[in-house]
Amino acid sequence: MRPASRNELFAILLARDLRPEDRSIMVGANMPMARAATVMANMTTHPDARILIGLGVHALGDGRRPPGVHPFLFDPRTLEADALMSQARIFDDADSPDVFFVGGLQVDQRGNLNLFGIPDGNGGWKMRGPGSVALATMSTNCRGYYIVMPSHDPRTFVERVSLISALGDQSERDRLGFPGGGLRLVVSPLGVFAPGADGNLEVVTLHEGVTPEALQEATGFPLPVSPDAPRTPPPTEAELLFLRERVDVHGTLAE
Amino acid sequence: MVTGLDEALAAVEDGMTIGVGGAVTAGHPMALVRGLARRGVRDLTLVVPTGGIEVDLLIAAGCVRKVVGSYVGVEGLAAVGPVFRRAVQDGAVEVVDLDEAHCVVGLRAAGHKLPFMPWRGGVGTSFPQLNPTLVEFDDPVRGEPLLAIPALELDVALLYAEAADAFGNAQVVGTGHMDGLMGAAAKRVVVQVDRVVPNDVIRRHPERTWWWREAAVVHAPFGTHPYSNAAITSDEEHLEAFVKAGRAGGDALEEYLQRHVHGPADQADYLETVGIRRLVSLMI
Repeated sequence: MRPASRNELFAILLARDLRPEDRSIMVGANMPMARAATVMANMTTHPDARILIGLGVHALGDGRRPPGVHPFLFDPRTLEADALMSQARIFDDADSPDVFFVGGLQVDQRGNLNLFGIPDGNGGWKMRGPGSVALATMSTNCRGYYIVMPSHDPRTFVERVSLISALGDQSERDRLGFPGGGLRLVVSPLGVFAPGADGNLEVVTLHEGVTPEALQEATGFPLPVSPDAPRTPPPTEAELLFLRERVDVHGTLAE
Repeated sequence: MVTGLDEALAAVEDGMTIGVGGAVTAGHPMALVRGLARRGVRDLTLVVPTGGIEVDLLIAAGCVRKVVGSYVGVEGLAAVGPVFRRAVQDGAVEVVDLDEAHCVVGLRAAGHKLPFMPWRGGVGTSFPQLNPTLVEFDDPVRGEPLLAIPALELDVALLYAEAADAFGNAQVVGTGHMDGLMGAAAKRVVVQVDRVVPNDVIRRHPERTWWWREAAVVHAPFGTHPYSNAAITSDEEHLEAFVKAGRAGGDALEEYLQRHVHGPADQADYLETVGIRRLVSLMI
């Protein structure tokens, strides 16, 4: 079987990590791997969850036709649903969703994320990003959120982000009294990371073929990792088959 | 009132604050946007909660001074709107950063005629530093740190609906994004529709009517193209071509504008530039 693409690996890792208590799971724009993870979880481990994919709210546990993973989030085919996802109303229920997924330009040692861009220091922009979408609100309120980083190098994994779109730093979150549970995991092409007891990111697992030295070299802050650090369990054949044949039927994640 | 596209857009003057409806790749009133770009108004402030190439097009046409919103991009095709990115990095266009939820509560505040609404999302982030109109304050009831999100008052809201009658009763198939809030936040509303229908068609499904006050109704079939509505998907090839031209800038971008914005005399003419085969392939 064709090995997992980067986005297929991300989808499977995210689906595996969802918690039993996650009841409503929402995915934002430009995160097809998280859409696939959510659909996959709803059809397997989380049959009772409500998933907010694109324009619709779905519950696929009793075998309803999955909404598909299309290139764009707001595809009209996602309107076939239990309810409609209205941007004007989604923020009215701060207890929902339980889970959200975010991407960013930079993540730092404390788990803070930047999607604004890189300022030039004179009130302008050296590199302007897309904007922060709903990262601040979702990361403040959700029971838990995941960061997906499509690249892992010293420019994307930095000691301190240039600007904060989503506050990951748990001690700051505690001080400000955020209702949400905070950052769960960061997944990257090199491994899986999570905040440790002191709030600094730590290695959870290293992906197949990634050495501790290569990881440290690609990371702009000290990331303690022992030579016998656990390896990311690779996607099983069953997971990949299910993902490809039941969830990502259009091959959006195949690359 | 049903009106021509240019008559409806005559309400937009230099320096105004204009809301453009839709979200990411869905439901943007692109026929109105192209019409506005053709008119060449100047110094607009665009309020776009989650914007797409409507922002890039209007910047390329020289209409924009400031962009207010939470996102400008083309999802997987362009992480950042290409013309938007260049204009902002060059300092030609100013960005006022908001969280997506700030857009909702800011539009609500305008609809409520309130100066601001409180919100927690954004506390502890760089939002107040980047956008000084967001004011940190201590909640007078429970003492928590919160942000005051100022009212987003609009001069004109440009919106899309699937169908409307001549009285301005507009119906969407789907969610309507933040469009209803935008209408309430605006002094004037222009609604672009695929179909103008008799009032009795509206009355069969009153629950679908999401706007029922005065509006200029503009008939523009396939008017969200290259973006989706409930009947068509987004035109990925067209968007890719735009992103390519936008990134290249200069002649390539000028050529796109000539072909798809300035050249066509009207919406039907624009659809000819897209081609019937392409349009049919987008229908779900």
